[in-house]
Amino acid sequence: MDQEFYDVQTYRSVPAQGPGPGTPDGTTPEEFYWFGGDDAEAPQQLGYEVYEHFAPAPVPEFDPAFDPAFAPEPEYEIPEVPETGWSVAGGRRRSWIGRMLLLSVLVVQAMLSLRLHNTAFQDEALYLFAGHQELDHLLHGTPLPIDYSGYFSGSPWLYPVLGAAADSVFGLTGARLLSLLFMLGATVLLYALSRRLFNERVALCAAAFFTVLQSTITLGFFATYDAPAIFLLALSAWIVVRTNRATPLAVLLAAPVAALAVAVKYAAGLYLPTLVLLAVLVGWPYRGRAQALVRGLLLALGTGGLLGAAMVFGHMTAGLQTTTTSRVQGTDSAAKLLSESAQWGGLMFAVACGGALAYIVRERMHEAVDVTAVRSTRRWRAALALLLCGTALLAPAYQIHLHTSTSLHKHIGFGLLFAAPMAGIGITRLMGAHFRQPQLGILVWVVMLALGLSQSTARFTSWPDSTQMVQVLGRHTSPTGRYLAETREVPVYYLHGATKANQWTSTYGTGYSYRDAHGRVYQGADGYRHAVADGWFDLILLDGKSTPAMDAVIRQAITTDGTYRLIASLPFTTSQGPGTYQIYSKP
Amino acid sequence: MTPRHTTVRIRSAAVAVLCLVLVLAGCGSSRHDSSGGQADAGAASAAAAAPSTPYDVTPLIKPSRKYLGVALATVPKSMTEYDAYSRAIGKRPDLVEYYASFGDGFDAQGVRRIYDDGGLPYMAWEPFEPSLASIASGASDAYVTSFARSVRALNLPLAISFGHEMNGNWYAWGMTKATPEDFVKAWRHIHDLFEQAGATNVIWAWSPNVINPVPSIALKPYYPGDAYVDWVGMIGYYTVTGQNTFDQLFGPTMRQVRQFTRRPFVIAETASQLGPRRQTDVDDLFDGVAAHADVVGFIWFNVPKRADWRIQSTPHALAEYRKRAAADLFGFDVRKP
Repeated sequence: MDQEFYDVQTYRSVPAQGPGPGTPDGTTPEEFYWFGGDDAEAPQQLGYEVYEHFAPAPVPEFDPAFDPAFAPEPEYEIPEVPETGWSVAGGRRRSWIGRMLLLSVLVVQAMLSLRLHNTAFQDEALYLFAGHQELDHLLHGTPLPIDYSGYFSGSPWLYPVLGAAADSVFGLTGARLLSLLFMLGATVLLYALSRRLFNERVALCAAAFFTVLQSTITLGFFATYDAPAIFLLALSAWIVVRTNRATPLAVLLAAPVAALAVAVKYAAGLYLPTLVLLAVLVGWPYRGRAQALVRGLLLALGTGGLLGAAMVFGHMTAGLQTTTTSRVQGTDSAAKLLSESAQWGGLMFAVACGGALAYIVRERMHEAVDVTAVRSTRRWRAALALLLCGTALLAPAYQIHLHTSTSLHKHIGFGLLFAAPMAGIGITRLMGAHFRQPQLGILVWVVMLALGLSQSTARFTSWPDSTQMVQVLGRHTSPTGRYLAETREVPVYYLHGATKANQWTSTYGTGYSYRDAHGRVYQGADGYRHAVADGWFDLILLDGKSTPAMDAVIRQAITTDGTYRLIASLPFTTSQGPGTYQIYSKP
Repeated sequence: MTPRHTTVRIRSAAVAVLCLVLVLAGCGSSRHDSSGGQADAGAASAAAAAPSTPYDVTPLIKPSRKYLGVALATVPKSMTEYDAYSRAIGKRPDLVEYYASFGDGFDAQGVRRIYDDGGLPYMAWEPFEPSLASIASGASDAYVTSFARSVRALNLPLAISFGHEMNGNWYAWGMTKATPEDFVKAWRHIHDLFEQAGATNVIWAWSPNVINPVPSIALKPYYPGDAYVDWVGMIGYYTVTGQNTFDQLFGPTMRQVRQFTRRPFVIAETASQLGPRRQTDVDDLFDGVAAHADVVGFIWFNVPKRADWRIQSTPHALAEYRKRAAADLFGFDVRKP
């Protein structure tokens, strides 16, 4: 199994049209015989009868004086020696070994994610709380206090509802475990598609390396849109690859999944071109150029049509524009974004590029010296390698365009999902034929593991533990109070049984307006200043992280007026530095 | 060396160098993620050392019942005298004042003893040295911060009255030794250091002497501001020859204070001079505190200092005190306000 394309048990050619019977483990051998190139027809069927028969032993000439009964027994017999000491063919045993190794990879992935712990991040809190409100709306007709579709980066009717359902039963841990299931599923699908494109060794390496990425570890225990979106992208990519020998219409199976991925998280739309091109590329060898292009066209039209309908009927346009396509430009420099991208995915990308180059130069490592089967063309390999590796650059490139590093640490994992198969090739080539240098593969994996561990820990400690803050707030809140909180999503989520969302005001609002007892209206910072001076809020929570400029305004008002008293000062340390929750109340 | 071995070695070296470079880059990401802050180890150690949820003193600032306080010479070093006093008046005092010089260490054990007996410790912090200007300039920041951290770490309620009777001329920090600006600056500076240390379990009591002996000294210039004060303490004694009614003793001060703040009052030190009026004074004190909703209670200075202020020294006054203290309005367990 040294080559990236599968061999077959008998080394016979098989019909190129249709999926064919396949080997017992489900691996289909056809790709091994593909010539590729510009041939519009199905790949030629080439016969290889390498093991067909050994020539019959020559019959010795008859010797009348020879009596076999008195012939001496040979002192030893030379056993029949096979051409190679192992088989490159697929089989049940090899499949199970592969699956067991994949299971080990999944166990490692689960352990890496489950070791993370912190209270809810503000995005998690926001989505889960919104999901609770939408669940109430769906189940009990409770009116929604706000139209979340206007500013969510994914449909509020998909993941938030699902996450809130898990949260209702198992709490935040349940919602995060749901994300873990999605990420484990993505790894399984990555393995499956890599195995189908190449072989088990590449697939296992791809899965093992994808597993230890910072983004994979973090998103595996993070209750946001990202995990389901990655899973759906992986599922649609797998369908695209799995149906590459079937009729072009079969690729339409991937269309609703891809559309759903985009609906779950709009940023997943960045990867739709990759799916379309992948559909063309992987179909080309088996269905020819024309049908491959039809595959791509069908997938594009199918996905586009579904998304268009969702835009019209699902009211996704405003949110899509606000959060994704017309997102407000940031101020982060390209150098900073490139540096962060390199830190979070540089090694994986480098290995993938190495694998891509090696794959373009040589399709396989020729471990089986007797296999001289058909190869794909270099041009096709280059196109596939470029597509998979290039996809890893989409998120950094788009965020450089937007000048924002927001969520880049998560988005980078979307592209690396596609680059992972090439990284798998890179590692197999690094280890060499017959595992001559396994230490090199292990070295790179351990380095990536160390990076993934430290970076995921840093991500999960990048926001403060809110346990004590929520405890203090919980003692002072009531169903009728008015509260000002710098990161309102967290207390809104944790205190949703004791307070309502509309009792909480954030310090973000440049559009905040306050009407005093005399009917005068104050906007923005002036509004906060007068509201504090008038003691409008019963509690004020500041953390100095999200809106430091507005914090200064509010603190100045607190100090000047004296209406509020500091009732708790709770220091915290995150990976971004120390900070303090300060909670003020009216004595 | 064969060409194959050379290739392997070159490949190994290239991989090792690549890994090293990317590890360094990647580790950088975890340490300086986005804003360049603390290492993970810092986060972990901070989490391990995170103090418990701060004691919420809010219910103690305006309790539904009145404080029945006392200052005793040997408390909090020993609670023996406290127990004896409690037996004498028939109720355990819930506001227990003690005196500490600025520069002394924080008596955490003494504070815990008071609290364990159901009382709110009230520390009169006396800045005999250094000067208020020096404190305001930050010269004592290390000491104050250390003190504040100890207070936060103990996490029990504590009332602090810094530089009491600042409007008099008999103390080193009084009106003849320091300006009102120095006093306010020093107070605010100390208060801010306590906030920075997270010591929100302190009730800040600003305690001038009643203005009767120093009527020309305005209190407002000495007032640090509502953002820095929880209680306005008043210090005044019933004397045989001076003011001997609640209104005469505390009224002028309360009226002047109300011109610049609505903070509640606490009578931070009071007692009645030995004499024939003592029983009446006790009645007047209890009546006055009960009649004013904005007076949260009083502290009886039960210390023989310059005069014998101990209530036990006058049996009929003690009996009256005991009878009035028995009312539900006075005294409560600060652990269950």
